[in-house]
Amino acid sequence: MATKSGNATALTVLSPIKNGTMGEISYADITRERCLRLPIHENSPLAKVPNTYLARLFILDDVFYESLPGSDSVFNFSDIFSFFSDQARRDALPKIDHLKSKYLVFSSNFHGDLNEYLAGMWENWTYNDQGIQHDVRYIWEHCVAFDEVTDCNSFISYIKRCQLDASLFFNGSTDDSLQEQLKALYLKQEFTKFVTTHQGKSAIEIQQAFKRFIERVQPENLSGPSWIPGQSNP
Amino acid sequence: MTKNLDLTDIQGNIVKAYGAYNFHKARYLFMRIDNGDKGRKFVGTITTKVTTAVHWTKDDASTGVAKPLVTTNIAFTYSGLKALELPRASLKGFPEDFVMGMRERKDILGDDGPSDPKHWDKIWQETVHIWISINGQTIDAVNERYEWILKQIEASDGGVKLLTGHRGENGEDDLPYQDASVLYDASGNPTAKEHFGYTDGIGDPVFEGQTNIPDRVLGRGKLTREGGWEPLATGEFILGHVDEAMEYPRTAPAPDLLSNNGTYMVYRKLHENVGSFNRFLDEQSKIFPGSKEMLAAKFSGRWRDNGAPIVNAPDDESKKVWDEKFAEADFAAKKRMLTDFTYNQDIGGAKCPLSAHIRRINPRGSLEYGVKDAFDTPGALVNRRRILRRGLPYGKVTDPIRDDGNHGIIFMALNVDINRQFEFVQQQWINYANDFKEGNDKEVLLGNHDAKNPGKVVLQVEKGSGKPPHFVCNIPRLVETRGGDYFFIPSITALKMIAGGIIDPT
Repeated sequence: MATKSGNATALTVLSPIKNGTMGEISYADITRERCLRLPIHENSPLAKVPNTYLARLFILDDVFYESLPGSDSVFNFSDIFSFFSDQARRDALPKIDHLKSKYLVFSSNFHGDLNEYLAGMWENWTYNDQGIQHDVRYIWEHCVAFDEVTDCNSFISYIKRCQLDASLFFNGSTDDSLQEQLKALYLKQEFTKFVTTHQGKSAIEIQQAFKRFIERVQPENLSGPSWIPGQSNP
Repeated sequence: MTKNLDLTDIQGNIVKAYGAYNFHKARYLFMRIDNGDKGRKFVGTITTKVTTAVHWTKDDASTGVAKPLVTTNIAFTYSGLKALELPRASLKGFPEDFVMGMRERKDILGDDGPSDPKHWDKIWQETVHIWISINGQTIDAVNERYEWILKQIEASDGGVKLLTGHRGENGEDDLPYQDASVLYDASGNPTAKEHFGYTDGIGDPVFEGQTNIPDRVLGRGKLTREGGWEPLATGEFILGHVDEAMEYPRTAPAPDLLSNNGTYMVYRKLHENVGSFNRFLDEQSKIFPGSKEMLAAKFSGRWRDNGAPIVNAPDDESKKVWDEKFAEADFAAKKRMLTDFTYNQDIGGAKCPLSAHIRRINPRGSLEYGVKDAFDTPGALVNRRRILRRGLPYGKVTDPIRDDGNHGIIFMALNVDINRQFEFVQQQWINYANDFKEGNDKEVLLGNHDAKNPGKVVLQVEKGSGKPPHFVCNIPRLVETRGGDYFFIPSITALKMIAGGIIDPT
């Protein structure tokens, strides 16, 4: 299933988008436009899904064709087949593959259990697009068989059906919960400010000030003063 | 490997920093071309007086020409080359940074807040086509050449217009030229100083084809694995020559005769907030464990009075020792003391901080962080980020507690790839610090410090010394951009062909 690195998971989901159009616009382009209109930073629905380290949405149009490799050696390897017949040479040329549909790709690095995370997506993904509040169904609406998703459990099984293994997962931070990491970043930043503001002061002054500092920043309180998910300003 | 450059084909300002040759006065003119034909004729006439890189007999025993009293050089923006009607196929070969021009690249350069182009001198709100520089040994020589150029502009009969709009000493905003000059000390002697009091213009890259390389290359070329110095590849600074990647520079437009022996110039008018600098230095030195001059040296990487590199004179005591040795050294040894150093004994930055100006703009071998053989050579990450620095201070500081007024540095960076060399250093090493493991800390003197979110730099200390590091906080913006653009400096051959309208890329 999903690749884990300690408590961190690399979730990769490819959901096929229905072929066909709604009037003159394809389902894939509708989906792409909806993704492009997602609000960013603190207002992003991705920031509202608990324990999301880093998530990304995009439309996959097709596999990439590398094109006939150029070569400045005497001949291409496939040309050897011309010793047998020209048909053999043509048969040895690279083939072109295509996907049967376009895909909505969702990838997320997150902390914790997959089922809990997906339930978190179903319950917390919300944002405003052109005056209307939307949930997670608005992005997946035109994916194949998504109309069978009616509740949290069916959403979880749909996503799991679309899931791929991540074969090379490099987690870019610790595998602590998001709250722990945001609190740690907040404390590091506030402590830096504390140190520079109290440079050169006496031991007593620093001790008193440090007590007040601890009361203010509340290191043990993860939901206390901290960075918020998707924070865009220092 | 020695390389003979066609010195008579290369413009002199590329190879020589005129200030070091007694040309203490400079004047920069900017023009717009309103008629291609007349513009080309004008370029042809100016070219007859353009100074080449040829040896001057006074400075070199071998044959050459006499050093002139005044020099003249010319360069063009992309708009200027278009106005001169270079063929489309040549124009499309110029690199994107040059085509866009410096104003459009402000987000890369960090020209925001007070440095935003909307605050630049009036002249930079127009489209500039031509830059002409006059460097003179005396102001009279400058004026004479200036008058001659004005005559040629007049003779162009409306084809070329001299642009006005430079800010002046007395609140003017429409001057027809930008003057620059060395600063003089109290006795009227020329100095190498700029308005913050630092001794400037010490290091400058040395590349293949320059003269007297063994004397100049120590500390100024590229580091070898054995710890020696070699000249950099010519192609880092002059088009049409092989560069450090062992290729011909890809920023060269077609045909070869247009680009060979030319280069690109970044011209920036940098205003210095002298009042803020003096105040900041005074305030910060009150809490700094060391003298004020030592703190000033920590900002720059060199002591203000004589440019002693702080990595070799890290505190007041060792500076005294350095000064004594310097006083007794002969001319060649003095130069070596000033330029021949690395940060190998100072990886942690306890002597020369990682945020010091000269360490940020040229980290020498220190990006290996002491890891043996981390790269091909110690300077592998630095060799392609070097720039030739030209220019002089401008204006006078009438009141050292004020920021207003018109005084600073006319800064020019010459390089073959503006984006890879100048813009990279500006964006990644001056305004950002990831490569120095210092997060967002901007370089003290040139960084685009944000008044709403002021930053800090850390002055490191020796590990195990028991001392705390020192933090320099709430750094004000000390330098503001007041104007500038990107220019192409053609070879003499290219100038003649541009003038003749015979650039042919087919």
